[in-house]
Amino acid sequence: MRATSLHLSEEMVRVLTRAATLVVIIVTLWPGYALALPTFNRQTGQNCQACHAGGQFPELTPYGRLFKLTGYTLGERQTLPFSAMGVVSDSKVNNATKSDDPKADFQKNNQLIFATASAFAAGKITDNLGAFLQVTYDNYASQSDDGKFHGHTNADNMDIRYADRSIDANHDLIWGISANNNPSVQDVWNSAAAWMQYVPVPSPTSSRFIDGTTPYPGFASGGNIAGITAYAYWNQWLYVEAGGYRSAKGIASFMSAGIADANKTKLKGTNPYWRATLTHEWGPHNIMVGTSGMIADVFNDPLDTSDPNSVHHFRDIGVDSQYQYLLDPHTVTVQVAYMRDHHRVPSFLANQPVADVNGNPLPNTNAIDRTNVFRAKASYVYEAKYGTSLAFFNQTGTTDSALYDPTRVQGNISGNPVVRGWTSEVFWMPIQNIRLGLQYTIYDKYNGASHNYDGSGRNASDNSSLFFYVWGAY
Amino acid sequence: MNTQRLILLAVMVSLAAGCANEPRSRDIANPNVSGETLALQVCSNCHGATGNPKSPNFPNLAGQQEVYVVAELRGFKAHSRQDPAGFEYMWGISHNLTEKQIQELAEHFAAQKPEHQRIEGKPERIVAGQAIFSGGIPDKGVPPCASCHGSEGQGSATFPRIAGQHADYLVKQLTVFQRTNERPAATLMKTVAHNLTRENIVNVADYLQAMPNQ
Repeated sequence: MRATSLHLSEEMVRVLTRAATLVVIIVTLWPGYALALPTFNRQTGQNCQACHAGGQFPELTPYGRLFKLTGYTLGERQTLPFSAMGVVSDSKVNNATKSDDPKADFQKNNQLIFATASAFAAGKITDNLGAFLQVTYDNYASQSDDGKFHGHTNADNMDIRYADRSIDANHDLIWGISANNNPSVQDVWNSAAAWMQYVPVPSPTSSRFIDGTTPYPGFASGGNIAGITAYAYWNQWLYVEAGGYRSAKGIASFMSAGIADANKTKLKGTNPYWRATLTHEWGPHNIMVGTSGMIADVFNDPLDTSDPNSVHHFRDIGVDSQYQYLLDPHTVTVQVAYMRDHHRVPSFLANQPVADVNGNPLPNTNAIDRTNVFRAKASYVYEAKYGTSLAFFNQTGTTDSALYDPTRVQGNISGNPVVRGWTSEVFWMPIQNIRLGLQYTIYDKYNGASHNYDGSGRNASDNSSLFFYVWGAY
Repeated sequence: MNTQRLILLAVMVSLAAGCANEPRSRDIANPNVSGETLALQVCSNCHGATGNPKSPNFPNLAGQQEVYVVAELRGFKAHSRQDPAGFEYMWGISHNLTEKQIQELAEHFAAQKPEHQRIEGKPERIVAGQAIFSGGIPDKGVPPCASCHGSEGQGSATFPRIAGQHADYLVKQLTVFQRTNERPAATLMKTVAHNLTRENIVNVADYLQAMPNQ
């Protein structure tokens, strides 16, 4: 791995100083923790760290996992079960000059922006029914021809579940049914595809290389679909879950609300998903070892689903593990995940001729692609206030001329999907509702190469990025 | 509105309108849910179904003195017990408990059988802790723990069972007694803990975790 350097500009230092000063003022004037609890805290009356390991959203403690598995029904039903969160961020890419149009390729680079905000309706509905519904506003969702950004709001994570629990001194069985819009969003372990990602993730082009955009083990179908899964957790030892996903339409259309039809994932039929884990807790330690998988047929064109053969067939199978040491004031967590993706492209896209930028022929496109993503992360948090983490990511896979792209910055002239690098983060939570994070992602390989990956001299290390954020929730 | 949406709406309304499942409820604001149910459906998440939690973050409640548990739950509910472990986890959970539920919860945990704990302290620490437990530290004015908590550490009424308690929890609570006023109901322990050194505290906590339960 090559070392890279990144220098904070005076402007960025000034922005960081102002943001830090603002937070100190807020913290100093804050009227007390009891007035600042998001909806689940109001429902249970407990601090964030009861459910989130070391207070670091979204990773759950054993207690948080049981809260979710029992359908968010523990506590007192709220009359107004709403919460909100917002993110202010600033990202700076290592090299913003190797580009034909730096202003377009790295918009908002090194500028403090109001990035995203979410609203939540979440909590207990009845003794057996609860929900977690998130709607997210992206302040930089799209851009018009004049270069102006436009905000947009759409459905984000959604999980509605019915759960019951039979427990006595000798046995414990939790079972339930979840209706959700993103495979594994219903999962309770942080090494699951929907939850392992560093958050938050803003969208301007300057942020395209921060950790939140790096490869993560995940399901090819992505979110904005609709599924129902059934699960059981026996004696806090064995967890099994199975279900299926379809396109979000009819009564489930709210699960992809706000997303343009052209951007939706359209699935053919019902697509199976499964999950199984073994868990063990001893003293302050707990560990999980698990597997998950999904087979999905995704239409190539969301606007034309008339031909049943025009689908990409994905088979994703993963293994993951999570370890936690939780003993106040220390929190140590380690997560490892590996996912193998087998992708059969529609026949009309396979074996197609491709020429490079000079007109020289490249091998025909593949009929089948294989991609493997490995991810590992370790974190330490002290007093649920001061945290640090280190992560490694490595995506490998088959070379495919379909990936060939001579465009500067985003291009890939090798046709290989390799992306490899490291991310480290330090964060501070002055109060449990506010987190300030400083994150640095180093790329060793990007789009198939360490050097000149786009054919125009851009190196992987040029994309290494510094990312600062202030995240608040109420 | 099509038929599917009407059906969905009807289902949601009927579910939201009632469907209380009191024998297996996790509703901490429903006075009709029994203490036994709350102990299993809610408290067990941290303290274990039988009051023998795996994590030392949470105290053992199995075989705990009924009077003591009642007093502590009232203290959490009234916010008079203010140590971090109390307000972070227990204030909200106890907020709406009725006197009947508090009594039933105390009875539930008092009736459970304490499990033996792993012996984690070094032998010399356990020996030193046993000496404090049985004989106190006379020249520092520290009385024997056994004089109030019983010769087996089993407790009595407002004096809690301390035998088989997690050492980490005991160290934290003895530190709370010694350095803060966060547990005003235990003024006696503030006096007792006043002259304990850090080493004394760790020694006695290691002994109590290793102490066979009776």
